[in-house]
Parts: sequence; structure tokens; C-alpha cells
Amino acid sequence: MNFSRVAGLLCAASLAAVLAGPVYAQSKVVKIGAVFPLSGNAASAGIHAKAAIETAMDIINNAHPELGNFPLAKDAGLSGLGGAKVDVVFADNQGSPATGQNQALRLITEEKVVALTGAYQSGITLTASAIAEKYGIPFVNGESVAANLTERGFKWFFRTTPIASDFAKLYHDFLKDMKAAGAKTDSVAIIHENTEYGTSVASVIAAAFKEQGQPIALDIAYSANTTDVQSQVLQLKEKKPDVVIMVSYASDAILFAKTMKALDYKPPMIIADDSGFSDPSFIKAVGKISQGVFNRSSWSLGAPGSVTYIINELYKKKSGDDMDDTAARQMQAFFVLVDAINRAGSTEPAKIQAALKATDLKADQLMIGYKGVKFDAKGQNTLASGVVIQLQDGEHYVAVWPKANAAAAPVIPYKGW
Amino acid sequence: MRRFLWPTIVLVLVIAYPLLFTTPFQQRLGALILLYAIIASAWNIVGGYAGQVSVGHVVFFGCGAYAAMGAYAHFALSPLVGIPAGIVVSVLIAAVVGVPTLRLSGHYFSMATIAVSELVRLIVTNVDYLGAAVGLSGPTVPRNVFDMSFTSALPYYYLFLATLLITLGITWWMTSSRMGFYLRAIRDSERAARSLGAPASRIKLYAFMLSAGLTSVGGSLYAMMFGFIDPESGLGILISVKMLIMAALGGAGLLFGPLIGAAILVPLEEISNNLLGGKGAGLTFVVYGAIIVLLARFQPGGILTLLNRLWARRRTSRSSVTAEGASHAP
Repeated sequence: MNFSRVAGLLCAASLAAVLAGPVYAQSKVVKIGAVFPLSGNAASAGIHAKAAIETAMDIINNAHPELGNFPLAKDAGLSGLGGAKVDVVFADNQGSPATGQNQALRLITEEKVVALTGAYQSGITLTASAIAEKYGIPFVNGESVAANLTERGFKWFFRTTPIASDFAKLYHDFLKDMKAAGAKTDSVAIIHENTEYGTSVASVIAAAFKEQGQPIALDIAYSANTTDVQSQVLQLKEKKPDVVIMVSYASDAILFAKTMKALDYKPPMIIADDSGFSDPSFIKAVGKISQGVFNRSSWSLGAPGSVTYIINELYKKKSGDDMDDTAARQMQAFFVLVDAINRAGSTEPAKIQAALKATDLKADQLMIGYKGVKFDAKGQNTLASGVVIQLQDGEHYVAVWPKANAAAAPVIPYKGW
Repeated sequence: MRRFLWPTIVLVLVIAYPLLFTTPFQQRLGALILLYAIIASAWNIVGGYAGQVSVGHVVFFGCGAYAAMGAYAHFALSPLVGIPAGIVVSVLIAAVVGVPTLRLSGHYFSMATIAVSELVRLIVTNVDYLGAAVGLSGPTVPRNVFDMSFTSALPYYYLFLATLLITLGITWWMTSSRMGFYLRAIRDSERAARSLGAPASRIKLYAFMLSAGLTSVGGSLYAMMFGFIDPESGLGILISVKMLIMAALGGAGLLFGPLIGAAILVPLEEISNNLLGGKGAGLTFVVYGAIIVLLARFQPGGILTLLNRLWARRRTSRSSVTAEGASHAP
């Protein structure tokens, strides 16, 4: 008899036998699953997302009369479910689409969550929401911007965030206004990193500008997490575009700022596409040599005492950092989901789905600067929007456009250092 | 007939596993073990038996995965159609890459394979037809059964089991044929094998191509189950490393070594992530890594070598042994 054969297969069977049995949900608690990159190279974003959702849980589960009429804040628990508390089960997607899907399945079938949120990276949101769709569990996403996510004919997927085409329109309208105010905005260059985020956003911006009759003059791609961007900066220096749009993650954004200073290059106007330039580490490291950079955001801190200001204070206690745009969009998605559960008055997935479809939140019921939350047939929020912000003092971004939301006037040209 | 008694019992147990462990997560875990066992077993042919440690096998995995998703995304065909296409492309790539790189020995071969796989990843990241950095996705809402998009893990489990049996069957057939003897001779000393007239280059290339084709099938199956592939998940170096670790942990160059490695590492990874992942401190990888280090320190030959030794000791102490080959170990 061949022992190796026996041992091999027995091992497979016995190891599988030690698995834990299913955990049953309690009736007084509404369980929601959250899949985020808590390890891997996007871990920083995942950990901030976790802090944002924990802050939201605190606001929902405990009485927060200081937040005034902000939905779900006043009383402890969910009024629609007899004061039930919300419990979030976090899972780590490890930056892998396969792990993200495995964890979504586990949360649905073992933890018996009634809805899911996550999963930061678009590719992982894609696989995780696919399993939710198969099981008929609502999936609310607040931060993944890949266009195809809402083009799959899904019935259980909802997305609150603005997507690349919304940003492209924002940038174009902003530049048109700036031009009217006397700035030169004729030649626009895009510089973007070559992973999914950079390529998809850059191609959408390029297409949108072309459609508006202003094709992009220069499109430069570079490898993400690179160690040298001199050639890209020199290329810009030579072509002298009026506006540079930058799509980068934090480490690359910092490298660009340093290289531009080293090569003494200041474009007349820089527009950054969120992410890297919104990261607290960017502002700490190179904020002082990037004064005047424009950025987009849906989040703004607001005046002391305002709802957003108080939420930021709560968040800061958990995470140690000020709220950034990504964490804020994730938190808003979570509030939208819990609001739907509260209105459904039930933890039945079909009723939550119906409530999500009926969502009609106004701008003053949100902690973020959207015009509201209302989903179209594909599950995309039609009222998602953002504002243009500027790093005027090198330490804090302030809203500068559109005028209705502006806290300060835009300053041009780019000051740098 | 006693020779076949235990294998039959074990096979019955493996077939019955999803009926005994019925929660969707347990069934999926079983399917994942089989999936990784397939690709680690495929790697084992060239990495274990021939002793050529390839760290670029993810190229073939990616070929299969992209072929399956491409068949759906570009031609609206069943991802199953991608399996033969993936095999053909993988075997061709293996032939082209293998001829020059297999001449390199030891670490240099490993380095060359890493270089090739990273190169392929960078190229694919920039090819729009293959979805560039965004990736390709498969059918989520299946049109028919041939879209291979199931809610339950059961169909995947049995599909993977059948593929694994075929893979192991081919490996067994290979090792007991003339080629298997050549391979073991080459692994132990290529120079000695050559001096005795073994066609080392040709045999190594055949093993590399066979291994590539089987790895590609594993890649196609992976893509069907998860319904998505992008350069990081389909061509990232981590998958090459996983194949290697699973085979080495279980016992490289042993028929059931990769299966044992997968049966230990896949649950370890998934369960440690389930228990610790949500805490958000990356503890999963610390635990995972520590166990690998311990095994490498105390049992570098693999779990199966240890088991074989224990079994052999038990048999000698009983002193009622009939002579029989203890294992496939050389």
C-alpha cells in the first residue's frame, strides 16, 4: 500500500474538518459586513475606512444630540427597528480580488450579514459584489470609481460616489470659469500612473475633454511606485502646458512635488485628482512646496460646530488623522445603507434593496458635499458631485469652486514654494 | 488488491467532503484547496521532479485565466473555450522561454523566470485588448450552464477534483515512464545524467511545456470561479511563490506533496484571515509566515517526507514488513 497517497488525501480531509461552524446573528443587532484592504499596499486606506465606519457606528448606536437633525444621530440605535444596534463585521481583502470574494461569501453565509459595504479597489469591489448579487444581498459602495461596476446589470449593487466622468466634467467646467476670469487654459496635460486607477481616470478625462472640443495636448503615463520622475517633469518643462492634471497615489505625488522643486518647474496651474494629493502624508511631507495646487473633494471640514466639524472630531479620536475625502465618501455610503435599513424597518435583504432604491436624501442630510443621494436604475447615485479645493497655505485645503460652496477665491498662478 | 484499498477510501472521503461539510464557505475552501493543489502539482513537474525552480509559473496561470475571460469578454463564448486556447499559448510560451532559460542552472534559471513573468505583467498592464490595468471580467449573471458562473461551490469542487485527478494521473504516468527516470537523474546531477546519455535539455523542455499547459488549466479554472482577472491577481509574482511554497511544504518531487501543501496552507491562510484579518493589523501574514519559517527550519524536505519517515519507522519496529517502495521519493 502506498502511504504517501493515503496521507495526502487524509490530510486534506482532516484539516477541513477543523473548520468552525456557522455563527448565528442575534435578533437585536443588525449585522453589516465591511470588506476593506486592511493589509497589503492599500492598507492605509483600509484602516482609515475602518475608522470612518466605526465612527459612523458610534454616531448611530449612541445618542448624539449635538449633531442636530443629522439622520440616525439623535437617538441610540435604529428607530425603525425598535432601537436595534448596528454591528459591523470587518474583513480583510488583502488587496486580492479572490480574497475579497471569499471574505464577502464568508460574511454573507457564516456571519449572516444583511448587507455589505466596501471594498476600496475597483477590481475587488467587482468580485465581492458579484457574490453578493448571487446571494441577493445589498452591496453599497462609496469609493470605487471604475465605470464598469454599475454597467453589469446588477440589482443589488448601489454606488454613492461620483465617478470619473463626474470629475472630468468638474475639471472642465472649472477651467472654463477660470478662463473667463482671465487664466490661460488652452493646453492641458495629463500625467497619470499606469495602474487601474490612473489609466481609467485619465482615459475618461481625456475623452470628456475631447468631447468638449478641447483635446488633451499631452498625455504622460508613468509606472506607479516609481523611484524617479525626472524625465516626466522635464517633458512637461519642455512642452509648457497651461494646466497639468495629475492622477497619482501618495508616494508618487510626493516624488513629483520634490522633483518639480529640484528641477525648478512650476506649471501655471496644477489640478490633482484626489487620492495621493489628499493623503495626510502628502500634506505633511510636501504641502509647503505644493502651495496652490488644486484638487477635487466631496468632503470639506466646515466651520467649528457644524455637523461635519463634529464628525471630524469624532473621527480624529479614532484614527489620529483629519478626515480625508475617501474616508468621508466611505462613511457616507455606510450612512446611506443604514438609513435604508432603518426605513425598511427590517433586516430582510429584499426590503433593504427596496428601501435603497427609494433613497432620496437631500444635501442637508449628508455629511458630504453631494447634491443628494438618489440611485438610477443601474444603482449609480445621480446626485453625486464634488467641489474644487486648493492647498492655499500648504497645510489645509479650502473649497474654492463653485462659488456657492467656496470658502475662498481661487489663487492663480501656482505658487509652489 | 490491498494496494488500492486506502487510496480508494481516501478518494471516497474527498468526493464526500462537500456533502459532509455543507456550509458554502467550507465547500469553497475545499474547492480552493483543490485549485491550488492543481497549480502546485503542475509546478511540481518542473520544479519538483526536474529540480528546475521556476518562479515565473504565473505566466502560464495568467495565460489560462486571460484566455478564459477573453473568450467571454471578446467573443461572448463560454470561458471553457478559453481552456484549450490557454494551453496552446502557454505551451508555446514555455517552448520559446524554455529553450534559452533552461540552459541556465540553479538560481539563474529562477531569476530568468522571474524576469519573464514581470515582463509579461508589465506588457499586459499596457495592452488594451487584455483590459490593460483594469482587467477582464467574466459573466456574473450566467446566460447558461456553460458560463460556469455558479453560486454554489459544489460544481467547482468536482470540476477541480476531476482536473486534479487528471493532473496527478499525468504526473504519475510521467514519473513511471522513461521520462521520469531521466528527470530524477537530471535533478540529482545534470552533468552525470548527460554523461550517461540522457537528453537533458530536451527532457527538461518537455517537462516545462507539460507543466505550463497544466498550470494554464488551473488559471482558467481560477478565472471561472472568481469571474475577474487583472495583471496583479493574474500575473503577480505572489502566485508563483504560492505554487512553490505549497509544493515545497508538502514535499517537492513527491506525487501528493503539493496536495498536502495546499491542504495545509490554503485553510491556514483563509482561517487566519477570517479570525485575524478584521483586526486590521496584517496579523494574518505574520502567522502564515511564522509557520512557513518553522516548517522550513525543522522539516525542509516537506511534510510528506516526514510522514514517510514516521511510517517507515513504524513499519520497521513492527518488523512485519513486506518489501515495497515506500514512496515516490528518489
